[in-house]
Amino acid sequence: MMQLRAFILATSSFAALLGAREIALAERGDAWWTPGEGREFPAQIDYENDYGTLRVLLTGGPLATKDHPFFRPVGPRGRACITCHQPADAMSLSVETVRKRWDKTQGKDPLFAAYDGSNCPTLKQDERASHSLLLDHGLIRIQRPWPPRETKPDFTIETVRDPTSCNSGGKYGPGAGNISVYRRPRPVANLKYLLAVGFAYDPKQGMPLPLDPESGEPMSGNLMADGRAGTLHAQMHDAAATHLELLQHFDRADMARIVDFESRIFTAQQIDKRGGALNADGAEGGAEKLATSEPGQLGSIGRAVWSEFAAWETPKPGLTPEENAFRASVARGAKVFRDKTFLISDSAGINSPIGFGNPVRNSCVFCHNMSQMGNDVAPGQVDLGTTTLPFADPAPHLPLFRITCTAAPHPHYGRVIYTNDPGYALTTGRCADVGKITLQSMRGLSARAPYFSNGSAKDLRAIIDYYERRYHIGYTEQEKQDLVNLMSVL
Amino acid sequence: MRVLALLLAFAVTGAQAETVRFITCPIYRDADAGKKSGCWLADDRATGKRYDVSQAPSKPDWNREVLVEGTIAQGGKEICGGIVLEPVRTSILPGACTRQMLPAENFTGRKFVLPKRNISPLSVKRDPPPPPYAARSFHLFFDFGQAFVIYQYDDYLLDEAVHWIRAAKPRAITVTGYAATSPAIVSGRTIAEDAAIARVRAAKIGEALVRLGIDRKIVTVKWQRDAAPIDVPEADGLAEASRRRVDIAVAF
Ligand code: HEC
Ligand code: HEC
Repeated sequence: MMQLRAFILATSSFAALLGAREIALAERGDAWWTPGEGREFPAQIDYENDYGTLRVLLTGGPLATKDHPFFRPVGPRGRACITCHQPADAMSLSVETVRKRWDKTQGKDPLFAAYDGSNCPTLKQDERASHSLLLDHGLIRIQRPWPPRETKPDFTIETVRDPTSCNSGGKYGPGAGNISVYRRPRPVANLKYLLAVGFAYDPKQGMPLPLDPESGEPMSGNLMADGRAGTLHAQMHDAAATHLELLQHFDRADMARIVDFESRIFTAQQIDKRGGALNADGAEGGAEKLATSEPGQLGSIGRAVWSEFAAWETPKPGLTPEENAFRASVARGAKVFRDKTFLISDSAGINSPIGFGNPVRNSCVFCHNMSQMGNDVAPGQVDLGTTTLPFADPAPHLPLFRITCTAAPHPHYGRVIYTNDPGYALTTGRCADVGKITLQSMRGLSARAPYFSNGSAKDLRAIIDYYERRYHIGYTEQEKQDLVNLMSVL
Repeated sequence: MRVLALLLAFAVTGAQAETVRFITCPIYRDADAGKKSGCWLADDRATGKRYDVSQAPSKPDWNREVLVEGTIAQGGKEICGGIVLEPVRTSILPGACTRQMLPAENFTGRKFVLPKRNISPLSVKRDPPPPPYAARSFHLFFDFGQAFVIYQYDDYLLDEAVHWIRAAKPRAITVTGYAATSPAIVSGRTIAEDAAIARVRAAKIGEALVRLGIDRKIVTVKWQRDAAPIDVPEADGLAEASRRRVDIAVAF
């Protein structure tokens, strides 16, 4: 069982860095940040997880959270942004934290608000079963308008299966002008990497990047599973109107304060229980490096992705054989990630229409190509198959939609597609985009299981098992373990 | 007149370089020389010859028919197990194919090298192209039936055009989309592009120019059917492919 509690390192140098507030927090034995509790957000705070310690850094010094719009309870349920973006969970929300919250508050925490913290607002809210997607899979209900407001879609959508009852009936579902999908909160940290624009083009869409209507600048296209918000401002409008049930948006001053906070927060695993400090002996893991590095570099041009751990290829005298073995495994994992190739097939965004061919031989780093972050330098909308049949794992708990392409058929699925979450297509209205989910960052993974946008991978090993099934990679048991170890230290 | 001269020009180059054009189901050969190294083969059913089309800027899909247009490369090494076409284009067609993958056998495949036409990251500073700036045209070429701005080909050509336009500050830009609507018989089948694609191509490039910072007010978008080939270096001597294009004409 993972112990989510603020964690004080045994080393005196680090203990000296901790102020009285962190010590008080550690004693409380609970890492949860309650909206409006008014605690100061420290410049540095560490949290323990299964694999070691996660560090959260706030550059530019501590922040008074009292009345800060990211922390202030708003809306009818008293929720805040911090409710779903918790520091101990790498600014996402692990399913374990969700369960603890349920147990501790008998389901009364604002997290479980009917609007999106339950399977559907129409259900009896005091029953656990009505919150099963959040409690069992860490999923938040995301309601999207259907058809999209600004484009005429080239597909129709029908509900085939509706286990949550939020995609049928008079108020919910495509017939009622909306679609409910269920997604994991994405980490609100290291955002300068997700916002970085490496090239002026989106090669997957074959167009220059769209411009931010407010600033006129090109947008990175790397926010949100379905890319519906191009900027932090647009994202905030979305969050305020949905998760927070705010009728009015934040005012300009609030938005500026949220963006300021979001731009200063960095997180990564800092210490591993088996390998020690992740920035020791030439390794460059950990959060500081992220705060100080230039974002948006393509690993194939600049510093290779996860070369942070190259120094660990050679054993270090004075460490135990176990410590050296773990470090070597992490360093090997980085190489497997970059160098072990396999045939990627039928994945729109990669195998079509960009011209790489279907199939194309490449490795994990083909898609996860940004140095230090592992997201995609180009906008990362790719159909890995996580949400779409026949590649998605069975998910009886999720809705299933039948999509019929009315113009050209989908390049890989044909005219009729079955999906749990159409992803990017809900934003573009194009059937060729069904199943595309924006790549996330890969930092702080240890703190925020389960993985993938629909939470289908329950732990790190399940991620590798999915890729193995999906692309018949042929990883050896050792390679799988090396990849898991690598992911656990990011 | 101009068209005739162009066709003649192609005929002359054609004397040295033999071009082929056919429709078939592509074959993927899993020759593993690292990332993006696999071989794409295409059998011309009329002649029984197998071609290596791996050098196409946009590659085939093993589930779909492909239109091959290419020039037989002089001294091309048969490292994939087919006669090398280069330059070559492979356009994915709607028709279904049974996917076919061959093992590497004894073929090594090609190690991936970055094509010459690739755009630099924004972090790379570039000098503006030097004057004089006079009226001129830029061209982008498309796969059959497609309006997709081909990665590491069209994006590069578009980027070069915009880089020049930004420095030259022209008075007006006319974007004309073309479609190869005149029917042609290929592999016993009559093929012709839908006229509507000319408009889609033009609109897309017009929008792309605006996104790249060109003032919408100076951009005019037009489209046209029955496109004739043009012989410019960017077309790589592929006359038929050169009909499917967008011209960006710049005036002062
Ligand atoms: C009820 C839970 C919840 C609340 C409250 C919430 N979020 Fe989120 N947040 C999510 C989910 C779920 C996603 C992923 C949505 C998707 O991919 O469609 C997300 C995504 C994001 C992202 C995108 C990150 C990325 O990498 O794509 C940002 C930024 C963000 N939230 C900021 C905020 C802010 C600011 C607030 C307060 C105004 C807020 N969130 C409130 C659940 C929540
Ligand atoms: C074809 C492109 C592609 C390749 C190759 C690829 N990924 Fe991914 N990866 C994605 C996409 C798209 C997502 C988001 C999918 C989703 O959330 O449903 C993703 C998500 C992930 C995540 C989830 C992170 C999170 O926050 O939930 C991890 C970890 C990951 N990939 C690791 C890997 C590893 C390891 C490999 C090599 C075995 C790999 N990826 C290969 C496209 C790719």
